[in-house]
Amino acid sequence: MKLLQLPPTELRRQLAGDGIWLRTGPFSLKLQSRVPFVAEGLSELYGQFEVRSAREAFADFHVAVDPPANLRRWVRPQVNFSFDGMRPFKPLPRDQAFPMLEWGLNWCVSTQAHQYLIIHAAVVEKNGLAAILPAPPGSGKSTLTAGLVLSGWRLLSDELTLIDRKSGLIQPLPRPVSLKNQSIDVIRQFSPETYINRPSHDTVKGTVAHMRPPRDSVLRQHEPARPGWVIFPQWEADAPATLTPRSQAQTFMFLAQNAFNYSHLGADGFRVGTALVDQTACYDFRYGQLSEAVATFDRLADDAGPI
Amino acid sequence: MTLASPPPSRLIKNWGDEAVVYDAASGDTHYLKPLTRALYQTCRDHPGYTSTGIATALAKRLGVDETPQLHELTEETLTSLRKIGLLESA
Repeated sequence: MKLLQLPPTELRRQLAGDGIWLRTGPFSLKLQSRVPFVAEGLSELYGQFEVRSAREAFADFHVAVDPPANLRRWVRPQVNFSFDGMRPFKPLPRDQAFPMLEWGLNWCVSTQAHQYLIIHAAVVEKNGLAAILPAPPGSGKSTLTAGLVLSGWRLLSDELTLIDRKSGLIQPLPRPVSLKNQSIDVIRQFSPETYINRPSHDTVKGTVAHMRPPRDSVLRQHEPARPGWVIFPQWEADAPATLTPRSQAQTFMFLAQNAFNYSHLGADGFRVGTALVDQTACYDFRYGQLSEAVATFDRLADDAGPI
Repeated sequence: MTLASPPPSRLIKNWGDEAVVYDAASGDTHYLKPLTRALYQTCRDHPGYTSTGIATALAKRLGVDETPQLHELTEETLTSLRKIGLLESA
């Protein structure tokens, strides 16, 4: 069944008890939480995702977001993220419980899923070809990703590009799109009907909110895509949208340095990464207007044609 | 005399006049810009050459004059390739 079919009271009850089983891309997780913000975030953003009774199914990751046992349960309340009983992070204020869950899930995938070469990059798809968008924070990567998926591109991931080491294909992991600071309002203006949840303020990344992933992207979360482009976006006020070809060797080096498990994979990471760059066109991309950026990407996809 | 280290522990991928090299012994990956790649390739093609011989072969490979600057650049690049373990002094 889909999560949206669970009444909110039942969702809260299950989360506080045995937990819920949730599928996201190739991973399943068992999630427990007594924190209302977590149930609220799941209801608002994960409605299209498959859920089951946590007692029935195997899960790759067992995670929980819960208040600590000490005084911080009551005084300036905090929450902890735990994975298989471990707590990899320091506690955060309770109103950051949902972002903490999202960051925690990213951490689980990036530290455990070594069947993939995992690159820190957003990735979107159109006409069967994927555009990988690696970029440092502040480059406008999340804004561009949100703009593209609200304009007909399929969301594969806003944060983790999973390259299947056997097939070289990109495995989707569509989850809520993390928007930070000004990009929250940019996307609200770009697409007023899009659902963005309640912002969490004063996080380590500033103000953070999450955009609901498009239904089609979630329904197609088991459909991999072929790599088509590696594009480094850089937002710059008033800049016309411009694609500039860039060195494949330097692109490879950037991807290797920004992969979570390149070193861990050794020679196979090199093989998978070079094969990826071999089959992609690499560009730097400057843009000032989101609509113009989307039009540029659409032309790229149209020129490549359906595969 | 300069020798390119034995290749089995090394993977190289060329794109145009640039390359990346994975060194399995150290686990490091290196980017070779065009001049460095040409020099590395020259060392592999002529394993027994001295640095002077390498500079001469490099000038020929690149179609440039064999100037003192080229010799100096060759020495510097050989030193940096030795430092990261891609070349060995014989």
